[in-house]
Amino acid sequence: MHALAFVLGYVAVDWVSFIQPVLKLGITPWNPQTGVALAYLLWRGPKWAPVVAVGAFMAEVVVRDSPAPTLVLAASSALIALVYGGLAHFLAARPAGEETRVLSGAVRFAAGVVVASLMVSGGYVALFTVSGVLPDELAIESIAQYWVGDVNGILMLTPLMLAAADWRQGWRSVRARWTEVLAQAALVALFVWLIFGLQVSDRLRFFYPLFVPIIWIAARWGAKGAMLGALAIQVGLVVAIEDLNPVTPLIELQFLMVTLCSTGLLLGTVVTERANALARVAAGEAELRALLAAAPDAVITVSPGGGVITTNAVARHLFALDDESAAPPPLHELLPEVSLRAPEGRRSVAGVRRDGSSFPAEIAWAQLESPAQPGWLVIVRDATERQRAQAEARERDRILARAMRFAVAGELASALAHELNQPITALVSYLRASEILAAPLAGQDGRLDATLGKAVREAMRASDVLRRLRDFYQGGKQASDDVDIRACCASVARAVDARLQAVGAVLEVDVAADVATLRADGTHLEIVLYNLVSNAVDALAVKQSAGRRIAIRVRGEHDRTVLSVEDDGDGVAPEALAGLFEPFNTTKPDGMGLGLAISRSLVAALGGELTYERGARLGGACFRVALARQASAAAADTGT
Amino acid sequence: MLEPTIFLVDDDASVRDSVALLLSLKGLRSQLFASAEDFLGTYRPEWRGCLLTDLRMSGMSGLELQQQLVERKVSLPVILLTAHGDVATTRAAMKAGAFDFLEKPFDDAVLVDVLQNAIAHDAAAHKQAFESARQRHRIERLTPREREVVALVSRGLPNREIALALDISPRTVEVYKARMMEKLDCRTLADVLRIAPQLEIDTDDA
Repeated sequence: MHALAFVLGYVAVDWVSFIQPVLKLGITPWNPQTGVALAYLLWRGPKWAPVVAVGAFMAEVVVRDSPAPTLVLAASSALIALVYGGLAHFLAARPAGEETRVLSGAVRFAAGVVVASLMVSGGYVALFTVSGVLPDELAIESIAQYWVGDVNGILMLTPLMLAAADWRQGWRSVRARWTEVLAQAALVALFVWLIFGLQVSDRLRFFYPLFVPIIWIAARWGAKGAMLGALAIQVGLVVAIEDLNPVTPLIELQFLMVTLCSTGLLLGTVVTERANALARVAAGEAELRALLAAAPDAVITVSPGGGVITTNAVARHLFALDDESAAPPPLHELLPEVSLRAPEGRRSVAGVRRDGSSFPAEIAWAQLESPAQPGWLVIVRDATERQRAQAEARERDRILARAMRFAVAGELASALAHELNQPITALVSYLRASEILAAPLAGQDGRLDATLGKAVREAMRASDVLRRLRDFYQGGKQASDDVDIRACCASVARAVDARLQAVGAVLEVDVAADVATLRADGTHLEIVLYNLVSNAVDALAVKQSAGRRIAIRVRGEHDRTVLSVEDDGDGVAPEALAGLFEPFNTTKPDGMGLGLAISRSLVAALGGELTYERGARLGGACFRVALARQASAAAADTGT
Repeated sequence: MLEPTIFLVDDDASVRDSVALLLSLKGLRSQLFASAEDFLGTYRPEWRGCLLTDLRMSGMSGLELQQQLVERKVSLPVILLTAHGDVATTRAAMKAGAFDFLEKPFDDAVLVDVLQNAIAHDAAAHKQAFESARQRHRIERLTPREREVVALVSRGLPNREIALALDISPRTVEVYKARMMEKLDCRTLADVLRIAPQLEIDTDDA
């Protein structure tokens, strides 16, 4: 369909522009039909070149009644189709429309057109000369005329036709500035009239003023507008020249028209390119503004001298810069400790609000590498919350470490008391036995009985010292808080995080909602959980096979809350089970063997029970801490 | 019957040796065991006296030993030797029926006191058990008819009404009464009434 339309259009345009031919051949100074052909090839693709050949052949036959033999006409038509098909292929390698958007595209387009049309005109004339249709002495002049005609036709029409799809947009911009369009049209009309209306001998001297409206149009409307203007001038010239007597050779005018067209194309493309660049910059700036407005942190741009150039809303809020219109204070008033020297960096400093109060800030800055506006970009974040959280975490760790040391000492004292109480018990019994055995001798020396009595008292005193030592570490220092078990688990997870990562283990925490709080000593419970998780990590560190998981699970079982710590390690060896919870019983090379003993003591003090079993879910060790749900028991008490 | 003995269970040899020496000097018999398992392995039901065991031992603990004895219905009084501070465990032991507990190191006077109390308690309990066993044995010798007579007698009925109730002559009631009192080893009717509660259950069953 489009092929038929093309052939008809091609023939019609050729017929309209068939002026001042050389010997009735297709050698005319203005060939708009070539522009139509190239536009068609660029639009549909080079593979439609045979259609162009058909069109060219039909034009030769229909329009010109050419004296050349059919074979020559066919060959010349094929030549036109072949060369412009090749040009279309060459130009299609770049994005469509580039010939009027980017200067490099326009230059490439113009150069391609000049070279291709030279090949066509040279080949066409050679064909006709060789076949004897065209006399030799007319060859050079014919090539020039054909060449200029093709270049002119293409430069003027092809970009315009390819852009025809956007005609609505063009029409809108013309309507918006129609007075200017009228003025430009009037100027063009005036200068065309100057050339032909004045009865002067050398008309071409008056051609040059036409550059003024073309440059004006190109500057205001870009390449497409310039092409449209050039087309209008061309049509005017052709119409005028047809009516003139004596005949002015169009070829001379057409050289000037090519220059005019080229100027319009290049200048218009530069204008378009610049407009596009400006639009991109505007889009980039809009994006940046949105970015700054949406940024969660304060963003400040600073001049090389340290003056604050811009601030975003967060920055104004952070530094209490209430008045947006007032000039912001220099950077050294906002961040007194900061002097920007390194190209980029980050620091923790004090920020100062407009009212003089200060806050801990974390800043990051980078140099703006723009020659037009050098300076710095500074991002400021309020670190108050973060530092407070860190301080709280440190305090918690400190309390935990202290409680842990206390528990270790308590367990040691307890173990020591037990171990030493045995020999002291034996000692006291032996001494009492000695007193009885020595009774018959008491008459001989009264000091023996007294000495044995003193010895018993000393042994009792030693036992008392142990008792006091033990009391000091175990005497009723259990607090009773509402413990948030999830927070407790999170704290333990944080404490073992580095070791988990080193081992490549994953800690899962699963706390049932109905047992999420517990009335107990939170620190002691945390020590117990820490010891159990810590043991699990150690067990997984020596595990051979892959997969390292630890699961803390908290569930209600009847009237008790059960916290289980399970791993997928190898579990406790059967021979280690007997004294598992006894102090100084360890399988670790650097262990003291107190972790489980302490944990058992602490759980017992909480009124609960610590037991070991084979894990049912993960298959490794599973330690269960069963604690009475005192909170619910207390609630039941008040209920009755 | 065997002489009352203190059965001492402690995993510390010095403690065993010294306490045994002290007890022997105080005139008390003792037998020593190094572990709870040892004691359970050699225990004989006819043993009298009391058990003195350490709470914290490698292997079976004193508390577990006590629970074992409860399960096996061994009536021997248990005295636990504790270290100071085993409050929770001691409380559990007392709840489970331990006789007493002593903190190590203990003084000999207190030790002997507690042990003698325990031995006396054991002897009394044993005597009571012996008495009731003997009475059960006597009651078992009665014929069903004689038991019926005892039941009615213990309700305070005169011979005539007993005869009416059993559909026999008052004369025969006299004979049954005399035979029954002889079998129960009772000289007076008041003696019969004292042991009647045990008979009442039997008559109800009959």
